Amino acid sequence: MEPPENSDASGGAVAFEDAQKIILRWDSTASEEARERMIFEGDREEVDLYLKAVDDIQKSMSSTSISDDQDKVNSATIQIAMARLEDEFRNILLNHTTPVELNSLAAADPSSSVHSSAADEYEEDDHVGDEDIQDQIQRADSSASNGNTSYRSTSSIREIDLIPQEAVADLQSIAKRMISAGYLRECIQVYGSVRKSVVDAYFKRLGIEKLSIGDIQRLEWDALETKIRRWIRAAKVCIRILFASEKRLCEQIFDGIGTAVDDACFMETIKGPAIQLFNFAEAISISRRSPEKMFKILDLHDALMDLVPDIEVVFESKSADSFRVQAAEILSRLAEAARGILSEFENAVLREPSLVPVPGGTIHPLTRYVMNYISLISDYKQTLIELILSKPSTGSRYSGDSTTPDMEFAELEGKTPLALHLIWIIVILQFNLDGKSKHYKDVSLAHLFMMNNVHYIVQKVKGSPELREMIGDDYLRKLTGKFRQAATSYQRATWVRVLYCLRDEGLHVSGSFSSGVSRSALRERFKTFNAMFEEVHRTQATWLVPDNQLREELRISISEKLIPAYRSFLGRFRSHIESGKHPENYMKYSVEDLESDVLDFFEGYAVSQH
Amino acid sequence: MPGTEPQPSFLGRISIRRNQVSAMDVNHDPELEELELFQKHVADRFTDLLSPQEEVASTETLLSISWLRKLVDVFLCCEAEFKAVLIMGRDPSQICKPPLDRLIPELLDRAVKALDICNAVSSGIDSVRQYQKFAEIAVSALEQKPMDDGQVKRARKALNSLLTAMKVDDKEKDFKGAERTWSFGRRGNTNPFHKERAARYFRSLSMIIAKNWSASKQIQAMSSNLVPPRGGEPTGLALPVYVMSSVMVFVMWALVAALPCQERSGLATHFPIPRQLTWAHSMIGLQERIGEEWKKKEKKGSVGLLEEMQRMEKLALNLIEFADGFQFPGETEKMEEVAAQVAELAEIFRKMGEGLVPLQAQIREVFHRIVRSRTEVLEVLDHAAKISQPTT
Repeated sequence: MEPPENSDASGGAVAFEDAQKIILRWDSTASEEARERMIFEGDREEVDLYLKAVDDIQKSMSSTSISDDQDKVNSATIQIAMARLEDEFRNILLNHTTPVELNSLAAADPSSSVHSSAADEYEEDDHVGDEDIQDQIQRADSSASNGNTSYRSTSSIREIDLIPQEAVADLQSIAKRMISAGYLRECIQVYGSVRKSVVDAYFKRLGIEKLSIGDIQRLEWDALETKIRRWIRAAKVCIRILFASEKRLCEQIFDGIGTAVDDACFMETIKGPAIQLFNFAEAISISRRSPEKMFKILDLHDALMDLVPDIEVVFESKSADSFRVQAAEILSRLAEAARGILSEFENAVLREPSLVPVPGGTIHPLTRYVMNYISLISDYKQTLIELILSKPSTGSRYSGDSTTPDMEFAELEGKTPLALHLIWIIVILQFNLDGKSKHYKDVSLAHLFMMNNVHYIVQKVKGSPELREMIGDDYLRKLTGKFRQAATSYQRATWVRVLYCLRDEGLHVSGSFSSGVSRSALRERFKTFNAMFEEVHRTQATWLVPDNQLREELRISISEKLIPAYRSFLGRFRSHIESGKHPENYMKYSVEDLESDVLDFFEGYAVSQH
Repeated sequence: MPGTEPQPSFLGRISIRRNQVSAMDVNHDPELEELELFQKHVADRFTDLLSPQEEVASTETLLSISWLRKLVDVFLCCEAEFKAVLIMGRDPSQICKPPLDRLIPELLDRAVKALDICNAVSSGIDSVRQYQKFAEIAVSALEQKPMDDGQVKRARKALNSLLTAMKVDDKEKDFKGAERTWSFGRRGNTNPFHKERAARYFRSLSMIIAKNWSASKQIQAMSSNLVPPRGGEPTGLALPVYVMSSVMVFVMWALVAALPCQERSGLATHFPIPRQLTWAHSMIGLQERIGEEWKKKEKKGSVGLLEEMQRMEKLALNLIEFADGFQFPGETEKMEEVAAQVAELAEIFRKMGEGLVPLQAQIREVFHRIVRSRTEVLEVLDHAAKISQPTT
């Protein structure tokens, strides 16, 4: 409902007087009534009247045919109008600060099952419903992500309406007038201060904490892992949905006024929160390096890398340069951290100092840890291949430094630096284990230990296709050869002397053939054999070869040498013993006894002797 | 001449990288000289801060933006030299020997605290830019000729917001002041959350900083174990570590004193530097001057000693007084006075516009430098540990 345009002075004066009346009526410094009610909360007609009044005053200000006095009144009136509009603007914003339910974000994903437990009215800021939100996002996550390990709850920018469109329209009409009256700065300031708090509230709900760098250095890594996981999820929502939507809101409200204005408002709104968001990732990127941090650091790196295109879009204005720069800095530090951690890890493997031999010669915890670690590394191959760019620093063949193994990489042509690192890690693992094996008093046990551990390494490599592909079958063959050699060394160390008892030479008295057997020598042989075998049996039953197949193979290999030799020995010489006194003292073992006793070997527990 | 074998005596001590042959002085130790130079440079730089050269003295008032920029620059120079002294050309295992085995970790801990202060201070600069924006509104309103009621009211509103913002940033928990900037209080409003939330909107600082973080406590923690070394320890590095630590603590302290920062109350005005240390004379002098300024403002509370900010506050108060009593067209003398004040305010926010962003960038550079040095020192420590630990 608009009064007819009046171009003549008198008509203009009337319009102006009416306008002024309206504006003065709503002067909040002047009347109680003006203070108690908000124009934009009331009747739409009132709103239109007021806005028209503002327009009329402004029109008359730009008209040249007015007196100085008039000018002064105009200016005063405009100031009252602008003050009023500023409050209305603020009020509308305040009326729409309740954060949008985040489950509506998951709802946009058709494959997700939306749980409406958090659809209840949110309380004011203090409600911490972030667990629900994370669960929902995760559900949307898992149903949308085909079960792979990366988070894909929000995979691209998605702008939503943070404020209902009617409110946006009102804000737009106020902003337009404030700006054309030269009150741009006030407008930006009010907008920024209200929206900033809303973003802060969203942050609380998303579980983004305010932690200082000192706090983060002090936290246990387990606690930090949880926080990193949460941050990754929250950052995606923040950048792709929240910030993008705030940006669009600014663009809508300040539509047609030029990008500098909506950029300024957007920066006002999100600068603080964005700094808070990035500071967490930065703090993680500069934390002290230790091997267990590797994989979460890589997760963080990948998540941030994934967000970079969206960061470029959301923070595209010049005033947002610092964020793009900071994101790049954080990425580069995370990459450096990953490299440093790998180096730390290699050092730790090489220098791992535990000297207490593992009982029974079984698999050393270090072996398990290292092989698990490098299996995980091969899972993260895609990222690490990009990050690991230099070969491992190995000892030199000529350095004479006995504390580091040496390795020439010439024979490993065409392998990526990452693959070289993995091979190197296996090399130094063996080197370390070799040193540990020397602490076994029994050299047979040392060999058994090496056999077990290298075999484990081989199994782990075979069990992971990525790992196997990187290590390569050539090196795998080498490793296999090593454990077979260790098995052979073990056998030699234990059984050579045992089988020595069963040799032919030295039993025959010189000269004759059939009856020229020294019974005393024979008895000695049997006694020695029995004692040795008993000793070996007793001891090596407590040794352990955890791998079933390997254990079987080893026992079979022992049997193949032992049993025929004993059988043949018995066959040839039993009559000589049986013809003498107390044969049972010498022929303690039957062949069957031996066969059954061999089955006790490497079971890892003591057996009773018969 | 019998043989050309190098003698193990003084010829052996000539450091090739210095290219210096000091045949006269047999006791000339290049490493010792390096340490002495470092101290001298530190002393010189701080003397320059305390009493700058004639030509620049007027622009480098204590705790002005340009002075702070110089201070940060001094830090960066000292830090670069310190790193050279500590790391380059030295046997890494030296860093693990006592007393460095305790002093270096302490230094690294201080470095982490300094990083948090860099972040806090940077966000403090953002607060100052907020004040600047309010000042700009007031200035543009008051620069209008002729000055009329409307613009004066507008300016008054902006100046009030400015002062309130400063007050709120100073006393984090004081919400009441914020309400005054509304042209009316929402007394009729039954929603209690509205008011409190509205008041919180002025609180820009705690958007980023952890709730219980305190700038003054942080400084205190940084300086608590700062103890000058007793003479005669083997590596001679304990002293430069102490010097650099003192520089770091001083610079952080000065920045916290100058800029809005969460929880600055109780900021100690002195941290112990023994007077007999010659290199520290100027630093101690600066400490005293800044401490005096701090004490002056302590009772009333102040959001920061930044020179431009202090002047801005004073001008704002004056101009508000003027605005309250203004009646068009105003007395000529008064108007001239006001015009001068407005011009001064304009000059201040021009300086802020020019200097705050570079200052922020410099502080960010400090952040990066501290991170990098810390990483390098940690690497050296790990490397040294590697060497000293046998594998069998």
